[in-house]
Amino acid sequence: MALHPEALIVGGYAVILLVVAAALDWLAQHSQQRSERFRTAGFSYLPQHDAWTCSEDAMLWPMEYDELHHLVRYRAKASVCNSCLVKPSCTSSANGREVTRAVAPWPHSEAGRFHRGISMVLVGCAAVLQLVAAARHLEPSTLVLGLPMLFTIWLGIRYSAHFRAAPANFPEPTPATGLRVTQTSRTRWGSDAWEGK
Amino acid sequence: MLKASTTERSPDVRRPMMVSRGWVQAAALVILFGFAVLGFLAFRTYETGPPIADRVVSQDGKALFRGDDVIKGQKLFLKNGLMEYGSVLGHGAYLGPDFTADYLHRAALSVTRQYGGAASSTAQAKVIEDFKTNRYDEATKTLTYTAAQAVAFEELVTYYGNYFGPTSGEKGMRPDAITDPTQIRQLTSFFAWTAWSGSTLRPDKNYSYTNSWPPEPLVDNKPTANVMVWSVLSLIALLAGIGALFAAFGRWGERFGWKGRQADTISFRPPGDVVLTPAQRACAYYFLVVGLLFFIQVMVGAASEHYRADISSFFGFDLASWLPYNLVRTWHVQLSIFWTATSFLAAGIFLAPMITGREPRRQHWLAYILLGALALVVFGSMIGEALDIHGVLPDVLGAFGMQGWEYLDLGRFWQVLLTVGLFIWVIILFRGLRGRLRVESRGNMPWMFFYTALAIPAFYAVGLLTSSDDSFTIADFWRFMVVHLWVEDFLEIFTTVLVAYIFVMLGVVRERVALTVIFLDIILYSAGGVIGTMHHLYFSGSAAETMALGAFFSAMEVIPLTFLTVEAWSFLQLGARQESKSATPFPHRWAVMFLVSVGFWNFLGAGIFGFLVNLPIVSYYEIGTALTANHAHAAMMGVYGMLAMGLALFCLRYLIPTERWSDKLAKISFWSANIGLAWMSFATLLPLGILQLYASVNDGYFAARQLEFITNPTNSVFEWMRLPGDLVFIIGGVLPFLWLCWLGVRYRVGGSRDQLDEILFTEITEREPVEVGDR
Repeated sequence: MALHPEALIVGGYAVILLVVAAALDWLAQHSQQRSERFRTAGFSYLPQHDAWTCSEDAMLWPMEYDELHHLVRYRAKASVCNSCLVKPSCTSSANGREVTRAVAPWPHSEAGRFHRGISMVLVGCAAVLQLVAAARHLEPSTLVLGLPMLFTIWLGIRYSAHFRAAPANFPEPTPATGLRVTQTSRTRWGSDAWEGK
Repeated sequence: MLKASTTERSPDVRRPMMVSRGWVQAAALVILFGFAVLGFLAFRTYETGPPIADRVVSQDGKALFRGDDVIKGQKLFLKNGLMEYGSVLGHGAYLGPDFTADYLHRAALSVTRQYGGAASSTAQAKVIEDFKTNRYDEATKTLTYTAAQAVAFEELVTYYGNYFGPTSGEKGMRPDAITDPTQIRQLTSFFAWTAWSGSTLRPDKNYSYTNSWPPEPLVDNKPTANVMVWSVLSLIALLAGIGALFAAFGRWGERFGWKGRQADTISFRPPGDVVLTPAQRACAYYFLVVGLLFFIQVMVGAASEHYRADISSFFGFDLASWLPYNLVRTWHVQLSIFWTATSFLAAGIFLAPMITGREPRRQHWLAYILLGALALVVFGSMIGEALDIHGVLPDVLGAFGMQGWEYLDLGRFWQVLLTVGLFIWVIILFRGLRGRLRVESRGNMPWMFFYTALAIPAFYAVGLLTSSDDSFTIADFWRFMVVHLWVEDFLEIFTTVLVAYIFVMLGVVRERVALTVIFLDIILYSAGGVIGTMHHLYFSGSAAETMALGAFFSAMEVIPLTFLTVEAWSFLQLGARQESKSATPFPHRWAVMFLVSVGFWNFLGAGIFGFLVNLPIVSYYEIGTALTANHAHAAMMGVYGMLAMGLALFCLRYLIPTERWSDKLAKISFWSANIGLAWMSFATLLPLGILQLYASVNDGYFAARQLEFITNPTNSVFEWMRLPGDLVFIIGGVLPFLWLCWLGVRYRVGGSRDQLDEILFTEITEREPVEVGDR
């Protein structure tokens, strides 16, 4: 039995929608990283040390975990910064330059939730279109739509995971995020305090 | 810091410019270059537009119509709102046919029949020759139709007599829209003239006045060498440009931007502590008007969408006799500009005292006068349009009725009044800013705020050159100075300054970074955007170089725009990324989220969906289909709509007392508006556009624009698919927003003229030193 052209169109378009949803999600994540540049350009993060280096090769060590914003604050030594030649373009603080790093993965940020939300709309749209097409052409050949439908469900589960697992990352103290949440603390060696938990 | 400059400096010493002079020079050069080329193209448009013959006669000497009839037909077309029903030369609304393609196809069918039908071996060649040969005599200003074309013309007068007369009601127009035989003849003459421009070869060229648009196999209209070559060239230039952009980024990327600077520890001033001036308080009424107009706009939008899904009945109610499609469509596009612009105007008035630190006496009187004038223009023009489309406005009052150019539908009187109103607005801003302008370098932010505001009335005024007495080609050129250059470029630049200023006030970015972003924006937009305006005019009778330059520059526009929109996308996310240690909560959570969505829609709706329809070869088949509507909705609502909502929420946060403010309503509105818009775009407009484009290439443009195609079963499914998204948008997006606007008026906070503070946060100096040992 021949496949109805409408089912074919809808199936094809659903796949396009899913690809667009994934592409937008990826791009949004990328734009978020670019957004960070406004604050951290010239600094590089060293994951194995959990520290940053600045353009003048000074180290910034973790000082504090900000429970409210879910981020770690790193700070350079005040003595190094205060004698640094490029300090005026870097910080006005007398206590050394500070850099932050978000600990929650991207979809937990405010912008991340929005972009994930949009991708979810596209996935939902693909699902509804296929259901409508299937309902309009109840015949065996429409089973072909099962394949993009599986893909839709998989992407839907994947993208909704963050919504299901965690509330918004906006300043509302929420300890139950499944993240490594510690008491707000001010320690000499943030990484020590960190890894110990 | 900012504040010190206003208070401590003596009036005759200006604060030096915060960025290098090179920025100003580059911006000036780019703008001058753009407008020089644009001026040349304007000149060429007057010179090379298709002529309107004084007399059109058939080969046996019988008079068919006069040049006068064409202009009168054009005026009838506009006055009856037919440009908001169908289109000519691809420009207009998309429910009805494109009357250029419609006339051409039907006339060609008639001529073919007269020459022996499609089966005849010679008929096709003779038809092509009839339509391609240029029989316009420059000396006598006489155009000669072949006998067969003359017969076709008379047949089509009858056809359109029936179309606009007895059967117009079932097509979404007012029943018996046009019945006067003279008027029908004039209207048909106008269509005939556009079809003649579309098919007849320019002297000494092998393409028609419109670069051989519309595509029509019967008269051998197909993409010209120019259409192909410039599409390919601009695509290659685009690829090369993007390559160069990436290379430059790889090489200088780190240095190009700005050094990451530490976010300061700040304390946001709770909205209740920010004292408002009388003019700022007046803005509450502006936002109520914004909310109301937005609501009306989506309701008439829903009605016009219903015509596409189900043309003949509105749930059993005969809508076409009260609100015909062309009326709701007119209101829909006019209001889309009105409500967003009103929000921008109000935000300008609201920010001025924050920038200057004080407000001149009686500033709020001017603000209320402007609001009154705006309301008069909006509702007066809407009533005028309704009266004209219903055919009850006497001709002497024509200036109050329907001017009819899509997006410039409002009557001439209202258009002039609106221009005057915009100038009053600039005066309001100038009065408000004067104290600050005096102490600032002319390249600094307060001046940029003023310049970009001044460009708004200046370029809206250019729209006054759009005259129904000129040929369509010339009028359309000036129309796009408003539709593209004003809406898409100058409003964009002004709103960039607004947002950058808000970010400075909220401590998101430093003034220097904000100023750099503004200059970058001006340069990049103007580099491609000014000449890129011509991408609307590929096929409306302008010279081929208009298409060449328009295509090339608007494709090149994509390079800086990609950079800019991605940059803006990241920039606008900055507000949402609150990482400062603040003692008080950030008050603008949902206002900055709207800005995040502006960044997203700017990239997707304006950038991607816009480029999708931009290449001449795509546009050749695509113009006037749902794919254009897709771009228009995602860009207009996505960028300007979300921005207008965000700015409104920002100001309302101060106008509504804290205990009355509802973050929850703002949240619902934000999510619903975005979900609704994404759904509209991806569930309906994009797939419909792709299907229609496919039909246009496969079955011909004529067929793709007929009602039979638009209302076929598959298309109807997609049209009905919109319903859930539209409901979410209206109920969840618009109504809560309207309610917040109402709260602004209902519980408006008190105010005073002084004790203003321009910055909405206070910096906290870090007291306790942090001990850092060695490691």
